[in-house]
Amino acid sequence: MTMPFKNALAAALLTAILTTPLLGLQLQLDAYRVVLHAHWTPVIIAVVAVFVFQLIKPLLVRSIAHVRRPAWPTLRPQQQRYAVLALLVLALVWPFFGARGHVDIATLALIYIILGLGLNIVVGFAGLLDLGYVGFYAVGGYTYALLYQHFGLTFWQCLPLATVMSALFGLILGFPVLRLRGDYLAIVTLGFGEIIRLLLNNLSALTGGPDGISSIPKPTVLGIDMARHASVAGDTTFHALLDMTYQGGHMVIYLYLLALLLACLSYFVSSRLLRMPMGRAWEALRDDEIACRSLGLNPTRIKLSAFTLGAAFAGLAGCFFAARQGLVNPESFTFIESALILAIVVLGGMGSQLGVILAAILLTVLPELARSFAEYRMLLFGLVMVLMMIWRPQGLLPASRPHVVLPQ
Amino acid sequence: MKPLNCPARLVLALVITAFCGRIAQAETVKIAIVGPLTGAVAQYGDMVKAGALTAIERINAAGGADGNTFEAVLLDDACEPKQAVAVANKIVSEGIKFVIGHACSGSSIPAADIYENEGVVMITPSATAPQLTEAKPRQFIFRTIGRDDQQGPVAAKYIIEQVKPKKIAVLHDKQSYGQGMATSVKAALDAAKLPVVVFEGIHAGDSDYSAVITKLKSRGVDFVYFGGYHPEMGLLMRQAREQGVKALFMGPEGVGNKDITAIAGAASEGMLLTQPVDFSADPANVALLSAFAAQKRNPNGPFQMPAYAGVKVIADAIAGTGSTDPARVAAYMHSHTFKTPIGVVAYDDKGDLKSFKFVVYTWHQDASKTAIN
Amino acid sequence: MGASLFAMNELLPELTQQLVNGLSLGAIYALIAIGYTMVYGIIGMINFAHGEIYMIASYVGLVTLSAIGVQAGYPLLLLLGATLIVAVVVTGLYGWTVERVAYRPLRGGPRLVPLISAIGMSIFLQNFVQIGQGSRDMPVPVLISGALEFQMGSDFTVTIAYSRMVIVGLTVLLMLALTLFIARSRMGRACRACAEDMGMTNLLGIDINRVISFTFVLGAMLAAVGGVLIALSIGKLNPYIGFIAGIKAFTAAVLGGIGSIPGAMLGGVLLGLVETLAAAYFPTQYKDVVSFVLLVLILLFRPTGLLGRADMEKV
Repeated sequence: MTMPFKNALAAALLTAILTTPLLGLQLQLDAYRVVLHAHWTPVIIAVVAVFVFQLIKPLLVRSIAHVRRPAWPTLRPQQQRYAVLALLVLALVWPFFGARGHVDIATLALIYIILGLGLNIVVGFAGLLDLGYVGFYAVGGYTYALLYQHFGLTFWQCLPLATVMSALFGLILGFPVLRLRGDYLAIVTLGFGEIIRLLLNNLSALTGGPDGISSIPKPTVLGIDMARHASVAGDTTFHALLDMTYQGGHMVIYLYLLALLLACLSYFVSSRLLRMPMGRAWEALRDDEIACRSLGLNPTRIKLSAFTLGAAFAGLAGCFFAARQGLVNPESFTFIESALILAIVVLGGMGSQLGVILAAILLTVLPELARSFAEYRMLLFGLVMVLMMIWRPQGLLPASRPHVVLPQ
Repeated sequence: MKPLNCPARLVLALVITAFCGRIAQAETVKIAIVGPLTGAVAQYGDMVKAGALTAIERINAAGGADGNTFEAVLLDDACEPKQAVAVANKIVSEGIKFVIGHACSGSSIPAADIYENEGVVMITPSATAPQLTEAKPRQFIFRTIGRDDQQGPVAAKYIIEQVKPKKIAVLHDKQSYGQGMATSVKAALDAAKLPVVVFEGIHAGDSDYSAVITKLKSRGVDFVYFGGYHPEMGLLMRQAREQGVKALFMGPEGVGNKDITAIAGAASEGMLLTQPVDFSADPANVALLSAFAAQKRNPNGPFQMPAYAGVKVIADAIAGTGSTDPARVAAYMHSHTFKTPIGVVAYDDKGDLKSFKFVVYTWHQDASKTAIN
Repeated sequence: MGASLFAMNELLPELTQQLVNGLSLGAIYALIAIGYTMVYGIIGMINFAHGEIYMIASYVGLVTLSAIGVQAGYPLLLLLGATLIVAVVVTGLYGWTVERVAYRPLRGGPRLVPLISAIGMSIFLQNFVQIGQGSRDMPVPVLISGALEFQMGSDFTVTIAYSRMVIVGLTVLLMLALTLFIARSRMGRACRACAEDMGMTNLLGIDINRVISFTFVLGAMLAAVGGVLIALSIGKLNPYIGFIAGIKAFTAAVLGGIGSIPGAMLGGVLLGLVETLAAAYFPTQYKDVVSFVLLVLILLFRPTGLLGRADMEKV
């Protein structure tokens, strides 16, 4: 019994040393001289908490070992299909009854689902570590913004164009770097992502610099504006056509439904791709590149296809993102965004599409729920990332390989 | 920021309102205060928060606006447009009708679209990009701070007429406010045919500006206009003195923060800046400053007073119209003048401050300033 | 001929000053880069939280300095020494704790998992300091002032600040000490063995946990020296300096060859010089673009960096 006590004491002492200079002694500016103010309460709380935790840790470990995790009920394929159908119907109907703020958060979650599915192709299926994914996201958003600004193209015209543009960037940037392996690829992609953001910030004449490009229009409903007044004088609006009074919340619901459509499309495309020879090649590449090469598959071409397709998804999401916000600027496309999307893929379970969807929803919704702790939001976010990796590194819903179970 | 500050403040505010609010017709009007509470620019969000919360507390203590008490709702957008849109939708969802914020131009512009569409009054104390009010005609969007293209010409005029430097460098921090100010000043200087030999951007988070300072030294620059905030300006001046560069520095109101003397020390003596007329000389504002001190809030900085003024304008407009309907409040704001800590406030039809007066100050190393012009 | 000599005379002073600027900037990057390179060399992990460790050291240094009191008239060496010792010890403990809590449980798994944990730790530490100390920029008192000045050219004075000279000097000393240590001492031998083949080293009876902890602590301590000295030289700090310093130092480590300690020094100096010269002779706003382009080019043509060894991938 003395061993845990000594451990707890050591841990408490360590906590005291670590928290005193940063929590206990606060630097304050008095006129323009630096003074220290002592707040011992947080330090004492931290020390006591660590001490108690270290004391009861052996007990906790033993009791958790006895608790059996409840088994997920397995559904037969027929039931699975019905479950998915039910969820889809729920997703379609819910926004009409939900609060506007919640529908908007759901739209944001759907954007991150698209991004997560795209990065999942690169990181999860093909095993390529991409830390600059946000660059392709930015290309998609800015493509729509620039095409609208210079040529007046609408959202529906720009959507395929933005996707193709991002894919093109993926091809061009991917080509020279895909010879690199592992961490070097990660660093180069990080460099590319930052270069794209810095260029967007500096080339003010073309991209608007730090102000970005604003007044980007929302998508129309098959060509008809959904707004208080039509953008071109004389045209009807969506509400006038259906003889409804205009409500701002309808655009929010429309954006949500569009995002849902795009997310379903992304999911459908990526799951089809996984079952095609291309997808099989990705998996082979991820498992063992050298064996892959020795079997006659060209790794560079496989990597390039994964990279390009992943970028295309980012372009799709970027175009929609620009439409939702009405403004694109370089601040939205920092390295932290790349890290967030990577966290979504890893948290969900690399290569697992359902896991990625779940993780995207959690990582978007949870910070919103924690808004009441506004100051501690990011702190908790970082902590949750660390804890998730320690507790369940394989992800929330790890991918299951297609396999056969022999009947007993 | 003490962890226990915000909930304690709100409880205090609610207790005061419970005591002082009138019973009949007393509504609680929620005011959302939106800005970066986390992230790299949180110190500017803190400034907006300090000003707005102090105003709400004082107005509630004095009986509220037309009997209505204010309730502050703090929301964090981290200066990210994507979070700003989510916050704006949340505000509309919860039926909040008045917003002080958003703090950053990049966040204000997409949020303003939503507020304008839904009839929510937004007063920004710190977003200075012209696009906010220029791009589309808006009824509900206001500022309590001058635009970049209102402040720039004042600085340029002073440079052209009074300083008459031989070689000018215009620098900025590559962000919306700084680059906007620098571009505005440069345009005016170019029009007056003054030689601008360097027009470049520095990275706001960097600590070491020796390279660009050496560049200034070798070009023989004797005047530097920096569009940006006090941390970078302080470093530029300090490192310039270290390298023996004897140029005169000038900046917009973002550099007029007493902290700059802490960073630049003796090098901050003689810095020029443009700012709205100094409120702290007015004896009526002594009580105001002590209200800040009582809550241990920092009153120094470019955004505290504009945020305070924003709340006061809303309160006076509610009292003036006798209603809390945002459409009527907005119409009242467009057609009346208000007395606030930042001076007399009147709005043009775009929601910008009409003829907002900027004054050129010279800074002293004891963190005081004197007006010249 | 005369004209070009005249031009040289004009250009040389500025160039000299910029080289001085670049070298001192490079020394800063080198000190932080060592932490990245040592950890990567031994366990193959990019420690994203390292930049935050550097920032924590700056804050601890400022707190210590404020606690002792600059005005009290203590001798410079005492103040500096005390600040450095306290900052180094506390930061070393932070390095140890971060490794123990966030990375050790994840060893042996897929490579991405500790990376995500590191990113999470980085966000956590940054916000931890922001909550504890506020997001406001804090000024740091000037301890070492003054500069070496000499005339060059017609009227250009090249200035080398004493604080910068201290940084460069101390960096060189620490590099030498570290290289000697790794080459000659038992722990250094153990570190090299772990970098070579972790499994075999474990089988040979060396406690790899101790070696790994030691690496993290040493990297943190070096970053701490950097953090304190740079804070004193620059004069301000805030909770976000770690992020930028981290990315730059990381770039420097990769440039020089990640896993190689002399490489970190070389990479740091190279990056500092390139960045400064880019800012000097191109518009300043592109200096970061130039740094990243340099990184990408080096990785394309020499992926292991300048001094790194090519990895043999065994089938």
